[in-house]
Amino acid sequence: MLQIENTLFTIVMLIYFAAMILYFAFIAARKEGLARAAVALQCAGFALHTAALVCRGIGAGRLPLTNQYEFATSFAWGLCLVSLAFIFWYKFTVLGAFAAPVIFLIIGYAAMQSKAVHELMPALRSNWLGFHVSTAIIAYGAFGVSFVLSIIFLLRDRMKARGFLDSHIPNREKLDAISYRSVSLGLLFLTFTIVTGAIWAERAWGSYWSWDPKETWSLVTWIVYAAYLHLRIRRGWQGRAAAIFAAVGFVCVMFTYVGVNTFLPGIHSYA
Amino acid sequence: MRFAIILLVVLALACSVGSLVTQGQSYAWYAQRYSERTAALILALHLDDAFHSWWFILINAFLCVNLLLCNLLRLPSLIARTRAEADPRAILAGKGAVSVENVAAPEPVFQRLRMPKPAEAETEDGTPALVSSKNRAGLWGAWVCHLGILLLIVGFSLGQMTQKQYAVYGVPGQTRPVGDTGCAVSIDDFDIGLRADDTVEQYTARITVLGPDGQSESAEISVNNPARLFGMKFYQNSTGWAATVRVTEGGEPLQEEILCAGEYLQVADKPDLVIDFNAFYPDYVQRAGAMPETASGQLNNPGYLYSVYYQEQMIGMNVLMAGETLTIDDYAVTFSEPQPYTMIQIKEDHFTGVALAGGLVTMLGLLLAFYVQPARVWAIRQEDGRWTLRGESRKGGAIFRDQFLRAAGVKDGENIAEKEE
Repeated sequence: MLQIENTLFTIVMLIYFAAMILYFAFIAARKEGLARAAVALQCAGFALHTAALVCRGIGAGRLPLTNQYEFATSFAWGLCLVSLAFIFWYKFTVLGAFAAPVIFLIIGYAAMQSKAVHELMPALRSNWLGFHVSTAIIAYGAFGVSFVLSIIFLLRDRMKARGFLDSHIPNREKLDAISYRSVSLGLLFLTFTIVTGAIWAERAWGSYWSWDPKETWSLVTWIVYAAYLHLRIRRGWQGRAAAIFAAVGFVCVMFTYVGVNTFLPGIHSYA
Repeated sequence: MRFAIILLVVLALACSVGSLVTQGQSYAWYAQRYSERTAALILALHLDDAFHSWWFILINAFLCVNLLLCNLLRLPSLIARTRAEADPRAILAGKGAVSVENVAAPEPVFQRLRMPKPAEAETEDGTPALVSSKNRAGLWGAWVCHLGILLLIVGFSLGQMTQKQYAVYGVPGQTRPVGDTGCAVSIDDFDIGLRADDTVEQYTARITVLGPDGQSESAEISVNNPARLFGMKFYQNSTGWAATVRVTEGGEPLQEEILCAGEYLQVADKPDLVIDFNAFYPDYVQRAGAMPETASGQLNNPGYLYSVYYQEQMIGMNVLMAGETLTIDDYAVTFSEPQPYTMIQIKEDHFTGVALAGGLVTMLGLLLAFYVQPARVWAIRQEDGRWTLRGESRKGGAIFRDQFLRAAGVKDGENIAEKEE
C-alpha cells in the first residue's frame, strides 16, 4: 500500500506541475480552454492526492498526519482543496494560476522529507490527533489562499491587458472581500486547532498551554490575523494595506510550520 | 479600536521574543550563548522568563480591560442594532447597500437569497412594502468572541496563580507522599508496552491514592488517559531507570535503597558521605572522547553513572558496571536490579474548565462572526405596481451585492441603482 502511495505521490506532483503550466499558458495565451483544462487537471491531481493519503493511512495503520512528510503533503492537499473551493464558489479561475505554484512548492518540500513510516509515540496515540492536525491543514490551506489572493490584489493594479483581467479577476472590492473570507476561514480553523491542541495537551501532559514554540507561534499567527480583521474595519485599511497584512500573516504561518521546526525545537518537533 | 490593535501587535511581538530567547537559563548560559552585555539585558528585561514577566502580565491585563470595556460599551448599541435589524420601520428607513428597480415579482428574489418569508409593511407615507431579515445572531459574533477570549485569559491566569502541581516517581511497591496534600500514591504496577520492533506503544501505571483520612481510590493511568482521584488529576508523565543501591560497611550490610536516576543516598552512619545516582545505561558503550551512551534499550550491558560527595565536595565520578563494587574506605557500594520507574504528575487546577469554556465560546463567536451573516432585504411598491428591491448586509459587502444582483436577475450596469456602503 505504501508503494502505491509512493507512486501516486509522484504522479500527483507531476499533475500539479502540469496544471501550473496550463494555468500559466491560459494567462499567456488567454484561451478559456486552457483554463478549463488546468482546473480539470487540478481536480484530478486533488482526487489522486486524496487517494495517496488514504493509501498512506491504510499502509501506516493510522492517520497520515504525524511527521514532516505527512504534514507537508497534507498541507498541499488542504491548499488544493481550499483553492478549488474558492475557484468554484467565486468562479475565479485565475486564482488557480497563483495557487498552483504554492501547492507545487509545498508538495516539493514534502518530497524532500523522509517518507519512512514510524510507529507513534504514546503521546500521539490519541483521537485528538485527527481533529488537531486536520483543522490545522484547513487553516493553513485557507491562509495560503488568502496569501495568493493578496498577491493577486497587489499585482492587479500593475498588470496590463485590462480587458482580459477585468473579465477574469474580480474588482478590488470583491477581491478584498474574498480575501477576507479566506482569512476568516483560516482563523476559525486555526482557533479549532489551538483549542483542540490545548484539550489534547491537557490530557497528554497535564498542561493545556506550555508556551512551546509551536504553540506560541500559532498564537502569534492568530494574533496577526486578528489584528488584520480589526485593521480592516478601520477606514483606509481595506484593500492594499489589508492585502499586505494578509501576506505578512502567511509569513507567520510558514514560520510556524517550517521555521519553528528548524530553529526552535520543542514538544512539536515531529510536526 | 486603535488601542486594541496596538495591544495585539505588542502582544504578538512579546510572544515572538519569548519564543526566540531560550527561557529559564542562567546569566552564565546567556553570556556564553550571546555576550555578557546581551545576557545582562536579557535578565534586566526579564526575557529569560518572558511569559511570567511583569510586562507580559501587564500587556494581558490591558488586553483584558480593553476587551471588557469594549464589550460593555458596545452592549447597548448592539442590543439596539439587533432590535433594529428586525424592525420593519427601521429597515424601511434605510437606503440599502444595493437596490434594483422595476422588479415585477419580488418574492422569488427573497427566496433566491434564502431570506425568510417577507412580512407585509408600509413605509411612512403608506406605500406597501415587504420586509425580511435574517441571521441577527451574527451581529453578536465579535462580542461573543471577545467574551470567550476574556474568559480564556482570566481562566488561564487564575489557573496559573492557584494551581498546584506535584511529581511523584517510584517503582511498583513504593508509596510516595503527594506534596503537602496529606495524600500518598502507592504504585501498584508499571508496565511499558513494547511493540515487536521494541518501540514503546504505551506506558501504563496502576496506582492507589491513599487519602489523609485513610480512604483510598485506585485507577489505571496511561499517556493520554489521566485519572481524577481525590479532586486531583493524575498523569502518566514519563519514565526512567531505577536501581537498588546496597551499602556495606566492613562486609556487614548497612543500607539498601531503591534509587531513581537523579536521586542520591546519604550513607546512614556517615551523612557527609553522599552517593549520587546520576544516570543509567542499559546497554552501556563508551566511545573515545564521547559522553557515555546506551546502544539500545535492552539490558545487555548495564552501566550506572554515579558521583560521590563528601562534605559537599565531589570526590569522584565514574561508571560502575553490573557486578562491580565501589569501595570508599570501609564502605562498599553496589548497584543492581535495574528496573523502570514511573513519574506521575499530579495537578490541581480549578480553572481549567473556565479556560476551556473560553476557548469554546471564542470558537462560537468566530462562527457567528464569519458564517452567520446578518442581512435584510425589503421591497417597496412603485406607483406602476412594480417593486424597488433594496438589500443590506453589514458583513456581506461586495459578495452580498453580487448575490443580490444575481438573485434579482440583473448584471452590473444594467438597471441598477447601486450605492456604495
